[in-house]
Amino acid sequence: MQGDLPNFATHHLFLGSPGQNDGGRGAAESSWPRKIPGALLGCCTALIGLVYLLIAGTAMAPFLLWPRTRPGALAALASGARRLAGLDRARRFVFFGDRFPEHYKSSDQKVLRYLAIRSYTGVLCTIVVGLLGFGVILAAVLAMQLVQGHLDLQELLTQALLGGVLLFLDVQGIYSLAALDARLARECFGPSERELLRQRIDELATSRAAVLQAVDAERRRIERDLHDGIQQRLVALAMLLGRARRSRGRNPEQVDALLHQAHQESQEVITELREATWRIYPSALDSLGLKEALSGVSERCSLPIRMEFEVDRVLPQTVETAAYFVVSECVTNAAKHSGATAVAIRLALHGAVLVVRVEDNGTGGADPAGSGLTGLRSRVSALDGLLHIDSPLGGPTTITAELPCA
Amino acid sequence: MRVILAEDSTLLREGLVRLLVEEGHEVVAAVGDAVSLMKEVEERMPDMVVVDIRMPPTHTDDGLRAALEIRKRWPRISLLVLSQHVERNYAAQLLASNAERVGYLLKDRVAQVEEFLDALERIHAGGAAIDPEVVRQLVIRTTHGDPLARLTPRERSVLETLAQGHTNTAIAQKLHISLSSVEKNLNTIFDKLDLSHTAGYSRRILAVLRYLES
Repeated sequence: MQGDLPNFATHHLFLGSPGQNDGGRGAAESSWPRKIPGALLGCCTALIGLVYLLIAGTAMAPFLLWPRTRPGALAALASGARRLAGLDRARRFVFFGDRFPEHYKSSDQKVLRYLAIRSYTGVLCTIVVGLLGFGVILAAVLAMQLVQGHLDLQELLTQALLGGVLLFLDVQGIYSLAALDARLARECFGPSERELLRQRIDELATSRAAVLQAVDAERRRIERDLHDGIQQRLVALAMLLGRARRSRGRNPEQVDALLHQAHQESQEVITELREATWRIYPSALDSLGLKEALSGVSERCSLPIRMEFEVDRVLPQTVETAAYFVVSECVTNAAKHSGATAVAIRLALHGAVLVVRVEDNGTGGADPAGSGLTGLRSRVSALDGLLHIDSPLGGPTTITAELPCA
Repeated sequence: MRVILAEDSTLLREGLVRLLVEEGHEVVAAVGDAVSLMKEVEERMPDMVVVDIRMPPTHTDDGLRAALEIRKRWPRISLLVLSQHVERNYAAQLLASNAERVGYLLKDRVAQVEEFLDALERIHAGGAAIDPEVVRQLVIRTTHGDPLARLTPRERSVLETLAQGHTNTAIAQKLHISLSSVEKNLNTIFDKLDLSHTAGYSRRILAVLRYLES
């Protein structure tokens, strides 16, 4: 269950429509004057790519057709293509401010496809830019004629209308090709929409399974709690009473002692029952809210607890419950296993994310794969949150949960 | 009699030891897990072993497996197995080989001190003690709806007494009726509850019931 949880940035991709997203993940939008040389440079790299594909592709063609040599030839072709694609990656980064995932390695197929499509769109882009230049020259000639008075009004209007329409079409073409360029780069140098979706589905399936496991583990714990504690006590209590009844005829002074014991036992059953129900679900969470329920945790704990609670608005119920269990589990662990003498708890809202931090000064070495922490991780990841466990041997232990409240 | 107790809850173990000692039995060992139980039985050869099914090491059916092992190796030792819930499967396993000197009771029955002690005596005398709940569930499974509703009050009390492992004679004595009327009642019960056509585990438990009946 130690999955690499996504960072929130990848999720944002699904909030807007991906096609509209100009540039890469978290792109810092660069200014127009920077984009123009970037686009022109893109035309050059596309032409270089086209030449490479034509020359190298032709040279490799016989090897590509022969099944035995095909993989080697493809790999050779792709390694050159990868270098050229690297140029484009740098170009997108410098001129357009695209940020691509650091360690993402595209497949050979992806790179070759990118280069092929880029060659085509790049050449198209060159033509369209060329047409724009040609249009500018025509407009200049027209202006000259107008100044020299060789042009009557009707001709001017006709030319202006025609030129305007052509200009619009051309600019539209440039704009679309620029957007296409951005999208192609995003598809090649980072995970594609499909890959992201698949990743997301995998995450959801994993977290769903983990939630089910956590629920079952919780039920088992409750059953054990009831069986090992309360049920045994009740049976023992009933036995005391049964013995008292049997002693009535035989040993009257023992009756008193047994009844006294039974009475004490019944008090203990009541206490145990109260604690068990609280462990199952702290009702204060619903009636008094998270802050009160958490102060209940610190009152119950044998260790001194410093609590900072910096939440100024109402949180969703699921987030409150998860936060409560994160704190209570961590505090229990600290008291039971860590040998800590103090615990610090901090809850704060960072934008739309609730950050819960529990720190103890114990000996560390908490096992992230232990049942308690695994259960917490499931609970947190079911809410699309993150759980960080930092517990080096020798301590201290810091456990941080980030819970999105959206 | 010389008894060995195996029960993982300290509280309950202590209570049971006190109870048995008060009743004049000798508790030669009281242990909290199945492994120590086997060791103690081998060393001390008690007359009777009272064992909880759910015990360490695995907290599943360690106690039952120990009981079956004891039955296989030392068939003379009487067994009383205590179960957290009524599991027909467990009861059937226990009663399958030999339904003499054996008991299967719900753990909570020990709270009914008289019944518990009575069951111990019956088992020790060579009989059997089966929790009434076992029969009740068996009956519920074999006839849909509330099966016991079809029994007259008299038949119901005969069934309950039978299920606890009493012989026909004992049933007659307990309920203050003649032996022949007990037998007649039993036949009616089996007819009414349609127990003659059951299969699997139930048939084994029935075999025990029939055995007890004979």
